[in-house]
Amino acid sequence: MRHNLHYQLNYFRVTTPKSSLKVRLRVNWVSSLIYPTISVIIFLSIWELLVWFFEVPLWLVPKPSDFLNRFFSDFSIIANHGAATSITIISGFLLGIFVAVPLALLIVSSDFLQRGLYPVIVFLNIMPKTVIGPILIVWFGIGPLASVIIVFLMCFFPILVDSMSGFRAVDSKLFYITKSMGATSWQNFYYIRLPASLQHIFGGMRIGIVKAVEGVMIAEFISSNEGLGFMIMRASSFMDMTLLFSGLIAAAIVALLFNSLLLTIEWLMIPWKHQ
Amino acid sequence: MIEPANTSYNSASDASSKAIELGASIRASGVTKIYGNHQDAFHALGPIDLEIKSGEFVSLIGPSGCGKSTTLLIVSGLEKVSQGYVEINSEPLSRPISEVGIVFQDHLLLEFRTAIRNVMLQQEIRGLNRKEYQEKANKLFEKLGLKGFENKYPKQLSGGMRQRVSIARALIHNPSMLLMDEPFGALDAITRTQIRHDLEILWLETKKTVLFITHSIEEAVGLSDRVLVMSTSPGKIIDEIKIDLPRPRPAHLGDYPEFSSYSKRIYNIFERLGIYRFK
Repeated sequence: MRHNLHYQLNYFRVTTPKSSLKVRLRVNWVSSLIYPTISVIIFLSIWELLVWFFEVPLWLVPKPSDFLNRFFSDFSIIANHGAATSITIISGFLLGIFVAVPLALLIVSSDFLQRGLYPVIVFLNIMPKTVIGPILIVWFGIGPLASVIIVFLMCFFPILVDSMSGFRAVDSKLFYITKSMGATSWQNFYYIRLPASLQHIFGGMRIGIVKAVEGVMIAEFISSNEGLGFMIMRASSFMDMTLLFSGLIAAAIVALLFNSLLLTIEWLMIPWKHQ
Repeated sequence: MIEPANTSYNSASDASSKAIELGASIRASGVTKIYGNHQDAFHALGPIDLEIKSGEFVSLIGPSGCGKSTTLLIVSGLEKVSQGYVEINSEPLSRPISEVGIVFQDHLLLEFRTAIRNVMLQQEIRGLNRKEYQEKANKLFEKLGLKGFENKYPKQLSGGMRQRVSIARALIHNPSMLLMDEPFGALDAITRTQIRHDLEILWLETKKTVLFITHSIEEAVGLSDRVLVMSTSPGKIIDEIKIDLPRPRPAHLGDYPEFSSYSKRIYNIFERLGIYRFK
């Protein structure tokens, strides 16, 4: 039986298609955490061993035991900054979605916007966001608002582009059929375009969230007074290596959480992808 | 991206609502279609004259790009004529009509809906009674041999089944007219023959007016009351063949000598037009 390919491929399968939705949801969520956790533990153990073995000084490379210690002892401070960063990410990301998706629909529906507005957006997107940072500080002052805007600018473009291709993905012949049904523009959008484009929009969102996390860190380095990026920057200027590394760990956790959250939402909203 | 502009559809008036039960009659006169204008003008079709009686099954056969699909779009009101006019049930056609069922070569099913929900799209968009249409959908699925596949997604179905679902979607609202644009073109030969027969049986029950576009002479002769032959672009109707074979038509049409003469007639036309060039 072990030689049977089907058996081997399904060896690690914890759920079957017949498992109830609740079971599959919980197991899916849990298993997407377990595997990365195991590999991280292995990675940290090797790190600890190497630093200890080569007697690397603390101010150069701290051991995982050092900064993990710091992580838990200063947990409330780190968690507060983490919360601030998370709020910034969520705000910028939601803003990105609510601007990019409708705009994508507009551009796709209008030849004029396609030729006039889209190239402008592409051009603006080429500008490095770190350059925009100081300008935003002048306009909005130091604080999370500038960070939110940078997050927005970073995740806006991938969501826009993928939403556009999502809205175009429907065969135009289908609209002949809906026209014969007497469908209004709204019905065409709600019943046909929107569900068809969801897969693409989520693809854009997955790229967008990565860029958003990247953006928030950079933004908080230069233009904020709270958040993980700010905390890391300040730790760096004080050569506080353990706090710095704790900050990096926290940032990685935040990124992982948002990614998992997005994957779960996608899994819930697009059941047909997984049938 | 072509999106037909949103125009409200012409729902049947009281006089012709009775005619829905019987099948619409179609009359096109001097219809021409030109896409674009000035230098870029593409003369796609016509002028053609067309008359389809209520409950008739008419095939339109012709080479690629001759304007067959355009004819179908014009007759349903989904494209406007450049010249000439169209009458449905003796009433001039000015807007897309809703009493049509359309089937294209691509099944065009929504991949994110199950088979039955794809068919129920008609009910949802038209705002009709859900329970009633659920019943109708189930019955239609049974008739089309789709029983048990109601809750499958299109990607879980074979090509033939997807087309059957597409046909169900075109029939559930009991249209007076069925327009099919090479519906079986993408199917394998065996499925094609079977589904052709199933369509005929279904049609015999309700005798709707059907305009069927195909490349296949066998299909055209195997299904229709009349076959219209179209020339190369810009398409004009150059021959009309009345098919005098008993119904339901068998799988092997070669049994009938008439089939041979009908086929030969169409082949001769194609050869004359230069569509076939056998040495």
